[in-house]
Amino acid sequence: MHDGRFDPSGFYEFNLSEGMVRTRNGDRVVVLSEDVLSSLVAAAARDGDLTPLRRLGELLGDQVLGSLDRPASVLSAEAVLGHVSAVTSLFGWGRLAFERWGAALVVTLRDKPELDEDELGAAALLGGMFSQISQRQVSCVPTGESKFIMVDFEVAETVWGWFKDGADLPAIIGMLETKRAS
Amino acid sequence: MTDREDRLRSLLDRVRAKRPDERETHAAEALDRLRTASGTVAATAQAPTLPDPPTSPTLDSPTLYSSQPPRVERPLSVEPPARSVRPASAPSLPLASPATPSQSRRPAAIRPQSVAPTGQPVVYATDQPEFPRPKTFGELLELTLSLRPR
Repeated sequence: MHDGRFDPSGFYEFNLSEGMVRTRNGDRVVVLSEDVLSSLVAAAARDGDLTPLRRLGELLGDQVLGSLDRPASVLSAEAVLGHVSAVTSLFGWGRLAFERWGAALVVTLRDKPELDEDELGAAALLGGMFSQISQRQVSCVPTGESKFIMVDFEVAETVWGWFKDGADLPAIIGMLETKRAS
Repeated sequence: MTDREDRLRSLLDRVRAKRPDERETHAAEALDRLRTASGTVAATAQAPTLPDPPTSPTLDSPTLYSSQPPRVERPLSVEPPARSVRPASAPSLPLASPATPSQSRRPAAIRPQSVAPTGQPVVYATDQPEFPRPKTFGELLELTLSLRPR
């Protein structure tokens, strides 16, 4: 077992004779240009179906889980972040980091591919990835400036509506409160 | 007797004929020359208690002082429990009593007993301070997923 850090060596296997690229856990991947991916995501966002991107996020989450020696829930946020950001970088999705805003956990994804104006493609990807990692239904709602607030999927639409109405992240945080399950 | 033996005997007689105080003066001058040539002789004789740390590993620097690890007087973590736990009704701490001659020669080590309030069990002073444990990723996730509109 490794020492807790992500080991990127040998992550991709290039099989030139068969024309395939696989990750080290056997998943076949395809290299796409940012322009092509952007048009695909824009079309998906217009149709309101970002399921493929969420599915891609789940595959990234599988990669993260495969690199952890314990469940993510018992690890420190720093340890999980190290693996998540490494996988995100290896797939070319930018630099990922965590921020804590009160009780809210916020994901930042900088230098990501420019896909759609509302950043819904990245939100779907992050939601799928963190749902897979935590085995919970997680939604990452865009709040501007490459920040995505992590909330339960039941309140995602409400939070998204606040943001579309002009509320920034501090205002959104102020409109939320912690409600523990009884 | 040869000529050479004659010359040697003559020289010896002249040395013997010199006054004793003159010979002491020459001896003192020789000693001064020795001290001037070797600065470390004087430094060693003065024996500074806390020399400045050397800035470079030259021969003039007291590397022996800096290269030795600091002496640790019984770290708190390895203090035997029997010495650190004391009933509240026990007599005053030994360090509070007048120092014996052996204690005055050696600086007293800093121990839990010396900072514990009088009469309070020392175990309170030696307990590890409790820092808030950083939340795990699961706890942070639980917190953010519990957010609901006000």
